[in-house]
Amino acid sequence: MSEKNRLHWITAVIELLKTLKEAIIPLVVVVVANGIGRERTGNFWMDNLTLLIFGAFVIFTSVAGFIKWKRFVYWFEDGEFRIEYGLFVKKKRYIPFERIQSVDYTEGILHRPFGLVKVKIETAGNSSTLEGADADLTAVTREEAERVSEVISEAKRRRRAGVQEPPEIDGKAGGILSAGEPEEETKTLFRMGRKEIFLLATFSGRIGLIFSGIAIFLSQFSDILPYEAIYGELVAFIRFGVFMVVAAVLALMLAGWVLSVAWTYLGFYGFTVSFDGDDLFISRGLLEKKRVTVPLKRIQAVRVSENPFQKLLGYVSVKVHSAGGSVQEGGSAIGLFPLVSKREVNRLLAELFPEIETSAELNRIPERSRPFYYRLDFFWVIPLVAAAGYFLFPYGLLSLLIVPVIILLGLWQHRSAGWAITGRQLTVRWREFTLHTVYVFRKRVQSMQERQTIFQRRRNVATVTASFKSGIMPSKAPIRHIDVADADGLMDWYDPRYRADKHAAVEGTPAPQGE
Amino acid sequence: MRKEPANRISEKGLTVWRIHGIFYTLIVLVPAIAASVLAYIFEGPVWIYIVSGAAVVLAAYLLIFLFPKIRWERWRYEVRETEIELQHGLFIVKRTLVPMVRVQHVDTSQGPILRKYGLSGITVSTAATNHEIPALQMDEADELRSRISVLARVAEDDV
Repeated sequence: MSEKNRLHWITAVIELLKTLKEAIIPLVVVVVANGIGRERTGNFWMDNLTLLIFGAFVIFTSVAGFIKWKRFVYWFEDGEFRIEYGLFVKKKRYIPFERIQSVDYTEGILHRPFGLVKVKIETAGNSSTLEGADADLTAVTREEAERVSEVISEAKRRRRAGVQEPPEIDGKAGGILSAGEPEEETKTLFRMGRKEIFLLATFSGRIGLIFSGIAIFLSQFSDILPYEAIYGELVAFIRFGVFMVVAAVLALMLAGWVLSVAWTYLGFYGFTVSFDGDDLFISRGLLEKKRVTVPLKRIQAVRVSENPFQKLLGYVSVKVHSAGGSVQEGGSAIGLFPLVSKREVNRLLAELFPEIETSAELNRIPERSRPFYYRLDFFWVIPLVAAAGYFLFPYGLLSLLIVPVIILLGLWQHRSAGWAITGRQLTVRWREFTLHTVYVFRKRVQSMQERQTIFQRRRNVATVTASFKSGIMPSKAPIRHIDVADADGLMDWYDPRYRADKHAAVEGTPAPQGE
Repeated sequence: MRKEPANRISEKGLTVWRIHGIFYTLIVLVPAIAASVLAYIFEGPVWIYIVSGAAVVLAAYLLIFLFPKIRWERWRYEVRETEIELQHGLFIVKRTLVPMVRVQHVDTSQGPILRKYGLSGITVSTAATNHEIPALQMDEADELRSRISVLARVAEDDV
């Protein structure tokens, strides 16, 4: 048994800030509800109600943060990582080492002056408990983090050496992983250049976010800003004419855009992917450094996305769907290569996932299903155009222009879509506006569905959807409007019944049990 | 499409769905009555009564008679040694295949109406998706649940 360890005291501050950040919207609501358009009554308590509420909240939160830090201990015992916390309700969480899937690090701005990191220990999360079975060490010294990860990987290694792995692992399926070998070297696989990060930042859809940020910021301070003064200036301002207003709006948009670019740039600065045979490590960030660990065997599917604009410049992006249970880490798919040269991508994927076949010839969607790709859209387009045409006559008729756009997009979707089966791998390609290609193995597909509407039956086509696990949510790969015979073929490919004979042939080599 | 799964759900399930249909019809009935009352008070035009009446009758026919019937006819399931196959859907025929190896757990559940008719639903969960067989005889459901859980345990992953 090792001794019980405390976190660094900065934890209390971080907890306080975190709670404040989460509570900012309700607080703003309280402030707005209480503070605006109210006469001063002379009653001290009533006049400063919002400030009092705010103050009480801050005091309460800081005490809570302090207690949380004070009561939180962690230690190693009996091959388990154990934490204990809570004041009134004492909680203990024991996590066996072999259940630990990954250890992630984050270095926030508050961490860095003290040389601290946040350690997040993730387990094979159970989808029924959103909270997961994770353990966060909010702030520990870098050496301590090093030690934690050392103890855990040491224990994992010992277990691996002890328990004999199924023989075929070092043969074919996971060629990189040989059982007896002590430690694989960590190898850097991919690093994003400045140009790519800048491009990514330029394309990122965060502009809207920044705008709403500015709006919230302004509304928050609306009762502090001297409105009368501003109003007077505004009148003068308007005299400058519309040109100035337009210029100001453009300047504001430009500022928003620059901010968003800078934000993304900082977030993705030094984006590096490395792997050591078992795990992928993705690290990024300048002000806040993050390192995420993705165990290779937890990866369910790989998705290559080609945004038409990015593709013009020769770039695509790659995400992996992992079974890891973390909810807050940007949802289900983890960005593996946020922006990567199209020429490079297959080589990189081949290096990381040698078993994935990326160059398979795709089956196209039959010609007769073409109308299905835009026909459904008319359900909302026709009422829309009719309404616009009626109420906004004659300019509303311009909305008719949306019809050819919809049809063209549908045709494009029909032409780009495709699917292929290569052995145990399913490849699905479909276009929303961005073209997605998903590579998933049969053992990762959780269920498959074939569906057919009355209209589809007339044309003898059907849609097949493969569901796989992605974080705590299911993710789907749709193969739309293919020939019924092909759809049935896909279902048969998935159906364990029709594999009975093949099963006998490979019985000698049991499969690795992953999730 | 592939061959249909063999088993139907309990015939009493149809009755339960019809009862559900009555509840849904009530949701339409309330605004219809409200509209009629308002029309009566404010001496509104006659077509308001006609439209509300027609809406209620149509909703009742669809929700209590037609839809439950189609749905019940459509619902099929089959639990085989290596997989579960389901077929359902009102306008869209959906055929779902869940291999036994992917099954994580099986639940049976029962609301007050199902209980009254001695029925029970089964939910099969994989790591990513949930699939429900809505109305089975209670003993049948219990038996099926234990059968699936046994099969899921012995099923071998052949990748």
